[in-house]
Amino acid sequence: MDVWRSIILKNLNLFAEGLWVTTQICVIAFCVACALGLGACLVRLYVRPLRLPATIYIEFCRNTPIYVQLLWVNYVWPDLFGWPQSFFAAGWMALALQSSGYLAETFRAGIEGVDRGHLQAAHSLGMSPFLTFRSIILPQALLNMAPSIMNQFLVLVKSSTLVSVIAVPDLMYQAMRLTAIWFQPIEILSFTAFLYILIVFCLSHAFKLYADRLRGRYGLAMA
Amino acid sequence: METLAAGTARRDASPVPSDKGLAKAAEDAVVLRVSDVHKAFGDLKVLNGISFDLRRGDVMSVIGASGSGKSTLLRCINQLDPPTAGEIYLNGVPFGFRVDASGKRTPDSLSNINRLRQDVGMVFQQFNLWPHMSVLRNITEAPVRVRKMAKAEARELAEQLLAKVNLLDKRDEYPARLSGGQQQRVAIARALAMNPKVMMFDEATSSLDPELTGEVLDVMRGLGEEGMTMLVVTHEMGFAREASNRVMFIHEGRVEEDGPPEQVFDNPKSERCRAFLSKSYR
Repeated sequence: MDVWRSIILKNLNLFAEGLWVTTQICVIAFCVACALGLGACLVRLYVRPLRLPATIYIEFCRNTPIYVQLLWVNYVWPDLFGWPQSFFAAGWMALALQSSGYLAETFRAGIEGVDRGHLQAAHSLGMSPFLTFRSIILPQALLNMAPSIMNQFLVLVKSSTLVSVIAVPDLMYQAMRLTAIWFQPIEILSFTAFLYILIVFCLSHAFKLYADRLRGRYGLAMA
Repeated sequence: METLAAGTARRDASPVPSDKGLAKAAEDAVVLRVSDVHKAFGDLKVLNGISFDLRRGDVMSVIGASGSGKSTLLRCINQLDPPTAGEIYLNGVPFGFRVDASGKRTPDSLSNINRLRQDVGMVFQQFNLWPHMSVLRNITEAPVRVRKMAKAEARELAEQLLAKVNLLDKRDEYPARLSGGQQQRVAIARALAMNPKVMMFDEATSSLDPELTGEVLDVMRGLGEEGMTMLVVTHEMGFAREASNRVMFIHEGRVEEDGPPEQVFDNPKSERCRAFLSKSYR
């Protein structure tokens, strides 16, 4: 209890700072990942000449360990491309890279899963391919894939703990730092684990509730 | 009664004209011309030279066994499956191909095809309503986005059409909450919202429970009586006989019979048609 009071409670501001960094990095990484993933998926599906490069990109993202990507982006990219110049940017970029590969495949499954009849109905009304995609395919793909997309976000939150190794001051980083200073790993790491469980558990339930409500609104079966 | 009388008058007027002036008038009234259309999927020949003219106000039922090419014919007409050979004209305009100065035929651009598709309504066996849109939005989407109609105007039109198919109270529902018959009536309203010159029905009642086919057939019958030009692929022999003024029997991708329902049903020339009808009437 002493440790609890003297270390955890006294350093709650550090945990809060770490949590804020974790939040930022996850949100930025996920947005970038969605954009990259959707782009890669669309190229793979619809731009025939670029199908191979898109596939290589997706497979690369999915089949490289996140740890390797993190170090690669952090240490190799600045030399090759002159960017990123901060650990923070390297952190979200690496996370985005990994997630984009998985999201690209998720989007593809969603797009290919849309009933062909729905597309033919759109075509028969004279809708252009772009309009069909925007009005008919994408909304349905997102709706059907919502659970997988949200799951990918939770994976990303958990992977984000690794950015602590390149000195991004996220929640995990603060926990490691406090442990190094006070040498009370049981309390500190247990509390950190508890925070992550809380975040991931709450998010996953909130997402599920939201997705089910959305599907319920359309009268569709629960995912 | 008034619509019924108009319907009868229209039907009497459609038989083949006898003199040249009438022939010219009939020519003008040709909405859809299908000329020697062939369709093959790889080695599988589905359509082997189908030709017919559909005049304004014609209600033509297309009958035939499963796999005879009826549905493929409709899909060829609106270019969902472009024909391998042959020509289709909508109001005299080539549909799906274009002829350049040297007389060479090339496939038309997708934007031109889409422009013509707007004039051909299609109703599918599986309804194909978009599940993420309300009934109203299903109907207004194409008029607003394709025809660039004002939203309020499209909404008004959709409500009129829903009233016509007796579903005004369902306008804010989502398709999954409707019965099959209701979904199909919405699908009909959706096609009508584009103000098509021809309506095509691809076995519109085949996936409905028997007690639900009636409500859809009633809507189709009403449309025909209002003078809509219709091409109806159907297994409903009652509809073909009573609600259409022409019946076409297709066998192995060829037209075996094409004439008024009395002739095709009571006095078919083709042996295959006779066999098919005797099976269909059990």
